[in-house]
Amino acid sequence: MFRDVTFGQYYPGSSFVHRMDARVKLVLTLLFLVGIFFVQSFVVFGFVAVLLLAIIFISRVPLRSVLKSIKGIIVLLILTAILNVFFTKGADTAEQPLWSWSPWNGFSVEIYVNGLKTAGKIFLRLVLLVMGSSVLTLTTTPVDLTHAVESLLKPLKLIKFPVHEFALIMSLTLSFIPSLIDETDRIIRAQKARGADFDTGGLVKRAKAFVPILIPLLVGGFRRAEELANAMNSRCYEGATKRTCMRVMKLSWRDFVASFLVVAFFTGVFVLYGMRNQWNFITWLYY
Amino acid sequence: MSKSEKLTSPQLQIPQNSAIFAKGLNFTYNVKSNFAKHALVDVDLSVAKGEFVAIVGHTGSGKTTFVQHLNALIRVQSGCLNVLGHDLSARKPDLKALRQQVGMVFQYPEYQLFADTVLADVCFGLKNFGIDKDKREQMAKEALELVGLDFNKIKDKSPFDLSGGEKRRVALAGVLAMKPQILVMDEPTAGLDPRGKTEVLTLVRRLNEQEGVTVLMVSHDMNEVYENADRVLVFRDGSVVYDLPPRELFRLEEEIEAMNLEVPAMAAFCNELERQGYRIPDKCKTVDEVFDAVMALKEARDV
Repeated sequence: MFRDVTFGQYYPGSSFVHRMDARVKLVLTLLFLVGIFFVQSFVVFGFVAVLLLAIIFISRVPLRSVLKSIKGIIVLLILTAILNVFFTKGADTAEQPLWSWSPWNGFSVEIYVNGLKTAGKIFLRLVLLVMGSSVLTLTTTPVDLTHAVESLLKPLKLIKFPVHEFALIMSLTLSFIPSLIDETDRIIRAQKARGADFDTGGLVKRAKAFVPILIPLLVGGFRRAEELANAMNSRCYEGATKRTCMRVMKLSWRDFVASFLVVAFFTGVFVLYGMRNQWNFITWLYY
Repeated sequence: MSKSEKLTSPQLQIPQNSAIFAKGLNFTYNVKSNFAKHALVDVDLSVAKGEFVAIVGHTGSGKTTFVQHLNALIRVQSGCLNVLGHDLSARKPDLKALRQQVGMVFQYPEYQLFADTVLADVCFGLKNFGIDKDKREQMAKEALELVGLDFNKIKDKSPFDLSGGEKRRVALAGVLAMKPQILVMDEPTAGLDPRGKTEVLTLVRRLNEQEGVTVLMVSHDMNEVYENADRVLVFRDGSVVYDLPPRELFRLEEEIEAMNLEVPAMAAFCNELERQGYRIPDKCKTVDEVFDAVMALKEARDV
């Protein structure tokens, strides 16, 4: 039932991207996510897409695994696109609707070329966002990712932010997801065997049908948490004090090369955005 | 076997008095991906009504997959499976009727408890199968008493306030309340103390002997298999490799150990006696029975 959860799924490999420092990957991914919001035109979206495809190609992760991540938000994607098509007005008052329909006075549905463009851009933006972030999780193990977060948040220690504990919570959350999925599966089967029915009836009935799954799951969650806390205590875990890491993260030439390329690319994007009032005569960059 | 073959295959002769009948049952996890795993390979078996059958095998040998077929938690991919007259290879078997007749007790069944009170939890299955409210309470009462709990004392307690053993018994009662004709149990004694184990097994045996419930028990504990089952099915790599009464099965010491299974203590003892030329009757399996048999042998020799 919940087998196709792609979030956080690591695709093992030893490519250039896999071997990059997780911190650098995380920062570059953030840059990528922010950068996408400054992209103005389809042509530049094309450049971003080529960049992303190149990264995916280098990482040797099958494109199919990356595309799978879109499956989860497909409804959201289509809905946003449709709403934008119908509710975006023309770029200026002079623009004539491409198509309009007025069933009664005072109400009309109009589609503008501008609306189609906006919808297309939002669609591309979301797809690239999701694909970009899934490249990070596909090429980085959850453990490395939490180390990266911990390392990047270190400055916050100055203001007494419990960085280590935060990272620990994050890694525990990630590592509990698969076992919770298993447990959910098992509880669903047990309740089905007792005649529980999750597939028929109205909304209320179906919502109620989930109570016999949620409660055991919650109880099980607390039980596991307690067991884990005991296990940690009995191994003398005492938080961040004097802990060292088995794998020390080190920057290598890969990280510099990748950072240089990605930063250069998005510098370009930001410059284009900053100059949008001066350079807007180069229409393919802006419309 | 392809789908079209399955549909055109001639009607199988299902033996009379059969509770479970499987022919050429196959199951593959992740059919379409590279991770395909053949969990069941051409499983043929038949269990008669009223039998007590144990299923043993190494982890990943397909026993749990097979057991989950029995009340259609896993649907038949290819082959035939008939449970109490329900054809599970059909497109739409009557799941409600089937699941009411086939009670399934999973590993650690106490983790499925959810209701506010013990009574409500035991009634959950009955309610799902559409049994009237007044009748439900009566049936829940019978089930709770069957598992050795005091109905009046326990019915309004929260299941989460009970001890581990009590929780297990409440969960068992939740399945038994439906009065299943087949009881399928996946390691019902795992994690229980010796006394709890004996209690559960005694209960299951009583259901089997007195109520005629067909029992299928998956177990890793060869001693409990040896003492309780009429017949043992050994699964390996998705197939049934042995289908024998326990005494005969555990005479095959080398084969059993080759499969990383353990020979029960009493079976090993009797095997040793047999090698020395003393014959213990096959029906003697517990310590007491074997002791009596040995004493009888001694007397016969002394006479």
